[in-house]
Amino acid sequence: MEDFLQNYGFLLVTLVQQSLLAMSMYFPLTAGQLSLASPGFYSLGGYIAAVMATADYFAPWRDALGWMMFPLEWLIAALASALLALLVGIPALRLRGIYLALATIAFVEILRVLCLNLEITGGAIGIFGVPQLFESRWGYIWTFGPLLVITLIFSSRLERSRVGRAFKAIREDELAAGAMGVNPTYYKVLAFVIGAVLAGIVGSMSAPFLNTWNARQGTFDASISYLAYVLIGGGRSLWGPMLGAVLLASLPELLRPLKDARLIINGVVLVIASIYLPQGIVGALRRLKLVTLDRFAVLWGGQ
Amino acid sequence: MDAVQFLQNFLNGISIGSVYAIFALGYTLVFSILGIINFAHGAVFTLGAYLTYSMAVGQFGIGGLLAGLQLPFQFSFTLSLLIGAIISGLAGVLVERIAFRPLRSRGADPLLALVSSLGVALVTVNIIQYLVGSENYSFPSDVYGDIKPAFMFHIGSRIVAIRTVQIIIFAVSMLVLALLGYFINFTRIGKALRAVAENASTASLLGINVDRFILYTFFLSGFLGGMAGSLVGTSFGIAGPYFGVTYGLKGLAVIVMGGLGSVPGAVLGGLVIGLAEAFVPADYSAYKEAVAFAFLFAVLLVRPQGLLGRSQLQKV
Amino acid sequence: MRKSVVMTLLLTICAGSAYAERTASPIPIGIAVAQTSNVALFGQEQFIGAKIAEKYFNKSGINGTPIKLVLQDTGGDEAGAINAFQNLINKEKVVGIVGPTLSQQAFSADPIANRMKVPVLGPSNTAKGIPQIGDFVGRVSAPVAKVAPNALKQALKQNPKIKKVAVLYAQNDAYSTSETGTFQEAVKSHQLQMVTLQKFMTTDTDFTTQATAVLGANVDLVIISGLAADGGNLVKQLRQLGYKGIIIGGNGFNTANVFPVCGKDCEGILVAQAYSPEANNPTNKAFVADYRAAYKKDPPQFSAQAFAAVQLFAEGLRRVEAKTKKKITQLELPVVRAELNRALRSGPFVTPLGEITLDREGEINQKTFYVSHIKMDANGKTGKFVIVK
Repeated sequence: MEDFLQNYGFLLVTLVQQSLLAMSMYFPLTAGQLSLASPGFYSLGGYIAAVMATADYFAPWRDALGWMMFPLEWLIAALASALLALLVGIPALRLRGIYLALATIAFVEILRVLCLNLEITGGAIGIFGVPQLFESRWGYIWTFGPLLVITLIFSSRLERSRVGRAFKAIREDELAAGAMGVNPTYYKVLAFVIGAVLAGIVGSMSAPFLNTWNARQGTFDASISYLAYVLIGGGRSLWGPMLGAVLLASLPELLRPLKDARLIINGVVLVIASIYLPQGIVGALRRLKLVTLDRFAVLWGGQ
Repeated sequence: MDAVQFLQNFLNGISIGSVYAIFALGYTLVFSILGIINFAHGAVFTLGAYLTYSMAVGQFGIGGLLAGLQLPFQFSFTLSLLIGAIISGLAGVLVERIAFRPLRSRGADPLLALVSSLGVALVTVNIIQYLVGSENYSFPSDVYGDIKPAFMFHIGSRIVAIRTVQIIIFAVSMLVLALLGYFINFTRIGKALRAVAENASTASLLGINVDRFILYTFFLSGFLGGMAGSLVGTSFGIAGPYFGVTYGLKGLAVIVMGGLGSVPGAVLGGLVIGLAEAFVPADYSAYKEAVAFAFLFAVLLVRPQGLLGRSQLQKV
Repeated sequence: MRKSVVMTLLLTICAGSAYAERTASPIPIGIAVAQTSNVALFGQEQFIGAKIAEKYFNKSGINGTPIKLVLQDTGGDEAGAINAFQNLINKEKVVGIVGPTLSQQAFSADPIANRMKVPVLGPSNTAKGIPQIGDFVGRVSAPVAKVAPNALKQALKQNPKIKKVAVLYAQNDAYSTSETGTFQEAVKSHQLQMVTLQKFMTTDTDFTTQATAVLGANVDLVIISGLAADGGNLVKQLRQLGYKGIIIGGNGFNTANVFPVCGKDCEGILVAQAYSPEANNPTNKAFVADYRAAYKKDPPQFSAQAFAAVQLFAEGLRRVEAKTKKKITQLELPVVRAELNRALRSGPFVTPLGEITLDREGEINQKTFYVSHIKMDANGKTGKFVIVK
C-alpha cells in the first residue's frame, strides 16, 4: 500500500486536480458558453498563492496565521478570480459561439504575457520554493478531494435549481430564453464566474502541490486539454468532465512505457474520441442504457 | 522616434506582417467554406517546411528515426517548394477526410472539429519529431541563388535595412492574394466555392458536389500552408516540429482581425498586427506578444466581424 | 475473529514490504531528462553523454559490478519531472538520479528526491538556489558568473576601438537572464557604452525588430545571451542585415547545434565556455574520442556535463566501496544512497569539464573556463570551436 501511494499518489492527486479543472470548464458550458478561460484563472490563483506564500511582504501574515495561511490564499484567489471574471465576462459574454471562445483565448494569452513579464510574478522564471502544506504528494488529496466532492454536490444541486434551469434554457435557445424573461447576460456571467472561481481555487491549491509556479501553467494548450476532457467525457452530464479528465490525464502515464509513441497516441485518441463519441463517453453510455445516471441522481437528490 | 526609425519600423512591420498574412491565407480559406477553424493548418505548415527541406537539402541531424540520413537526391529550391506544397495540399485533404468529414456526416457539434483537428495536428507534429528529431534545420544562405541577403538604404549616416527573403515573402503573399481573388471571384470553380460557403445545402440542390469542393478547398489551403511554411523556413530556419503550431494561435488573431473567412482580410489583418508589433517601443518589447491578442479582444468587443468581414446576422 | 485475521495478514504484508532492500546488480542509476517536448534536444544530448559514460565506466565497473542507466522521460514540465523522479526512486530503486534538464523542473522535483534521501546531480541546472534545495541536491553545471568577462577581454583584444555595445538576452530563460547581468556589469567595468538592450524569447524566430535596432545603433560589439536555436537565428539575421562587428555568444552558444542554424554566419563568434572538447585531461580525451567515433563531431556541453554527472556517481560508488570495505550489492539501498551522497562531496574529480569539486551544499567548483571562437568549414555546415589563446 505504501509503495502504491509512493508511486502513484502524485498521479491520483493530479487526476483529481484535472477533474476539477474540467469542471471549471463545464460550468460555463452548462449555460451554452464555450469559454476557454479556465487556465487564465488557474494561473491567477496559483500566482496569488505563490506570492502570498513566498513574498517578504506577507511574512508577518504567515507567521501570524501558520497553516491557516493556506485557506486564506484560497479565499483571496477565489475573490480575485470572481472580480476578474466579472471584469472580463460582462463585456465578453455578449459574444456568441466561436467569437466568445476566441475572446477567452485572447484573455488567456494576454494574462500569460503579463505574468511572463511582471516583477511580482517572477518574470519568465516564475516563483520557486513554494512552501508545502503536506509532507507527501499524496497528502494533497485532502485539499483537492473534498473540493471535488463539494463541486460535484454543488453542481448537482445547481442543475436542479432555478439557476440551473435558466442555464439549460439559455443553452438550448438563448433568444427564446430571453423572450421568456430569463436575463441571459446575468446567467451567462454567473456561469462564467462560477467556473472562474473554481479554477482560481484549484490554482491556489496547486501552487504548493507543484512547488513552483510560472506562466506556463496558463496557456492555450491547457485550455485545449480541459476542453478535451469535457468533450470526451461528455459535456451534458456532471460526471462527464471527471471521467474525461481521469482518462486523458492518466493516458501519458499509462503510456509511459511507449515513450516516443505516447504523444502520437494521445493525438489519435483525441481524433477517435471526438468522431465516435460525440456526446462523450457518458453520452454513449446513456444511449446504450448501460448506466442511467438520471435514475441514480433521482435516488440521490430525491426529486 | 524620427523619420528614419519610423521607416525602419514600418519596413519591419510589413516584414513581420507578411509572415502572418501568408500563414493566415490558407487558414481563413477553410473557415470561409466550412465555418470552422482548422487547427491542423499549423501542422501542415510545418510539414511543408520539412518536406521542402528534405528535398532541397536532405541532411538530417542526430534526433529521430532518420538520424544522420543524407538523402541521395537534391532538387532545386523552386522544385522542392512546389512538390512540398503539393504534398502538403494532399495532406490537407487527408486532414479533411480524417478529422472533418466523419464529423460532418454525423451532424456533430462543430466544437468537436476543433478537438479532432487538434488531435490530427498533434499526431502529425509528433510523427515528424519521431522521424527527424526536434532540432533546428536551416536552409543554406544561397537558397534563393545569388541575390544579396539584404537591401540597405543609406539615409545620411544611418542605415535602414530589410532582408531579401522578407521582401520575397511579402511579394508572394501579395501575389497569392491577387491570384486567389481572381480565382474566387472570376472563375467557375471559385463561384461554386462561394456558393458552398454561402449555404451548403442550397448549393448541393443546385447540383454542386459539396463534398468535392470542400476537398478542393482543403487541398488549396494545404498547398498554401505548405508553401508558406517553406518560405518562412527559409527566413527563420525550421525551429523544430512545433514551429508552425505556434503561428496557429496568433493566426487566430490575424483572421479575426481581418474578418473570419475574408481572404483580403487575412492579409490586411496580418499586416496590421505586424505593424503594431513593430511599433512597440523597445522598453515594452516584452509585451509584444500580447499586442495581437489585445487587438483580438478589442476587435471582438467592438466589431466582431473584423475589418473586412460581413456582419453576421442573427438567424432566428 | 475473521476481521482480526485479515488485519494481521495485512499488517504482516505491510511490515514485510518495509524489509530492508539490497541494492540490485547491475547498480541502477537513474537519468531523468527530457526526451519529448520542446527541450527534447537538450535531453537527448544529455542522454547520449550519459550513455557514453555508462559504457566507459562499465569497462571495469564498480570493482566488477556493472552500473545500469535507467531512463525516464520528464517531458518539458514540472509534473513530468516529478513523475519521472518518483518512478525512478520507488519503482526502479536507483541509487541516484542525473537530471532534470530544466532548472524549473529541478525546483519541483528535487525536493522530492531530497525528502526520500536520494542524491540528485543536475547536469544543466544553472539557476540560483538549486544546490540549496537540500542536502541531497547537487549540480555539475557551473553558474557561469566567472566565464562571461573573459569573452569580453578577448573581444577587446581583437578590436581595441570598441566603444558602443548592444546587449541582447532571452528573458524567458533563467540562465540567460543571470548571464546577461554578468555581461552588462563587465561592459560597465570596461567603460564601454551599452547603447541598446534588447530582449527576446527562446521561442522567437523572427528577430527583425532586435536586429534592425542593433544595426540602427551603429555598435561595434554585440553580446547575446540565449540558447543555440534562437541565438544562432539572431546571429544569422544580424549578419544578413549587414552587421560587420564582433559578436560574443554566451554559454548557450557552446554547442555544435548552433552551426546548422547560422551556417557560414557563425564564423568568428566568440563564445564563453564551461566546456571545451579541446580540454586537455585524460577523461576528456577518452570522452571526446568515444563521442567522435559514434557521432562524427565534437561533443556538446550538455553531453559533457551529463557524462560528468554519471562519472561522479560511478566514481562516488567506488569511493563508497573503498570507505566501507563492502560491495555495493551487499549494502542496503538507503545506506548506499546516503554514503554516495557523501562521496560526491568528498573531493575533486577529473571530468571532461576539468577538475571539479562539489562543496558541502552541492555547488560545483570548477577550475577551468575557456573562450573560443567559431571556425566554420568551407561547406558552411560544420565547424569547430577553437580556443583563443
